[in-house]
Amino acid sequence: MADKYPINLWVNEERYDKLQKAGLADMCEEMLAGLKVIRVYADDAQKDKILKVFPTAKFDASTTKSIELLPRDVKDKIFDKVIEKQNIDIMNDFLGDY
Amino acid sequence: MAEIGHGGKKIVERILEPKEAAKKIKGLTEIPIRSQIANEVIDLAYGWFTPLQGFMGKADADAVCRSTQLADGTVWSIPIIFDMTESEISEYGIKEGGTVLLTYQDNPMAIFEIDEIWDYNMEDMCNCIYGTAEQKHPGVVRTCGYKEKFLGGKITLVNRPTINPPYGPYFIPPLEMRKKFKEKAWQAVVVHQTRNVPHTGHEWLMKGAWAQAYGGLPIKEPLCGVLVNAIIGAKRKGDYIDEAIILCQDELRKSGYFGDHNHLTSLTFWDMRYAGPKEAVFHACIRVNLGLTHHMYGRDHAGVGDYYDPYEAHELLQSIPREKLNITPVYSMNWLYCPHCGEITSEGLCSHKKEWQKFSGTLIRSIVQDGVKPPRLIFRPEVFDLVMECAEKYGFGSPFVTDEYLENRTPVFSIPPLGA
Ligand SMILES: [Zn+2]
Repeated sequence: MADKYPINLWVNEERYDKLQKAGLADMCEEMLAGLKVIRVYADDAQKDKILKVFPTAKFDASTTKSIELLPRDVKDKIFDKVIEKQNIDIMNDFLGDY
Repeated sequence: MAEIGHGGKKIVERILEPKEAAKKIKGLTEIPIRSQIANEVIDLAYGWFTPLQGFMGKADADAVCRSTQLADGTVWSIPIIFDMTESEISEYGIKEGGTVLLTYQDNPMAIFEIDEIWDYNMEDMCNCIYGTAEQKHPGVVRTCGYKEKFLGGKITLVNRPTINPPYGPYFIPPLEMRKKFKEKAWQAVVVHQTRNVPHTGHEWLMKGAWAQAYGGLPIKEPLCGVLVNAIIGAKRKGDYIDEAIILCQDELRKSGYFGDHNHLTSLTFWDMRYAGPKEAVFHACIRVNLGLTHHMYGRDHAGVGDYYDPYEAHELLQSIPREKLNITPVYSMNWLYCPHCGEITSEGLCSHKKEWQKFSGTLIRSIVQDGVKPPRLIFRPEVFDLVMECAEKYGFGSPFVTDEYLENRTPVFSIPPLGA
């Protein structure tokens, strides 16, 4: 299986409200002492593209194996895409805009 | 009574009183210095770098490279050197045996008595200190960025720095620090070296190290403390801003996760070299001077990328005999959240490995960046609120370093006009 790298969309109350309204609240996982998160996944090529397009982003290779530190507005866009498509499989679609 | 620092040498503050300073600097050639050198001038003058009294000559620098010691055999691992171009040397008319005035922010800072002008193969120096000369290594970039000649000789401060808010209470030089430890009656003090806003993983690293350092001391009175010693120097974009680091570390004491009886926050001016094991030894030397008995080391201390094995620093420290480096290393395992235990626990304690929820500084930064408040077991609410406050007050809206912050931040210290 190809490696998949998560992007953590941390869910605060505002995001949780949006998810509930869209009937997607059960998409959340609980991570880190109950903190809610939606995880969308990137494959190797997508990961490389993300790190190139968004230079502040960091791949946390040692602890969590996740892509972190994407700018807030980019995370919001990814989140909105999830709501729009009602699905977490949105990476190709999202990166198509870049 | 004399305070004895690293290498068994007396800690001496090399600082002139204003009247004497005004006399001594008359007629001296003025040489402006950059922030890294200004940081090191402060470290030299206040005794952070004891037994060094000034910038190294070639014999010391070479011994540091070849054998991790000064020419006299004292353990030392990072060259402390003052660079200049050949043409600057001739323009300023600098000669061995001469004395110049170092200026910073256009004001007089220190007298530099130049004993020696020397040069060195910098690629060689990089290989010795960093184990690499690759330009991807940030320490190599700094070291290879030096100008081609070096000046060695003693430094004497002529003008004390003004430490700007909010850093004032955290500037505690070695002699003052040792007094504070005596007032607190701490018999063991363990240092936590940091460049981070603390999450509970860091908090438990400190608590664990505190227990290790407490050891067999009696518990009737509090006899053991944690010193947070934040490294303040060159910043990289995306780091936490310095104000957030120092204030949030102290917030753990103010909010009662620690207390006055066991916790103190302070800073050291230093531009990180990311030299891994060599930097770990260097940190130990300056912490001996600050009066610490114990030094925390986690995995990959002061490392970068994958240049160093996570335990290489520990091995180097273990190879140095106690009589040459008088501080006890405390090696720390990572702390994590275990939902089964329902608490923060150590990877050396809990066996629910499959359930572990590990978190890193990067992960927490990512949560904070999303504007989400992490659970209190992971990140203390008082610390979160303060991070946000610092973002507004000092960070131009961001708790992380931005171009705007780098350009417009208030400097940590200022050098005032002499006698001001
Ligand atoms: Zn457990």
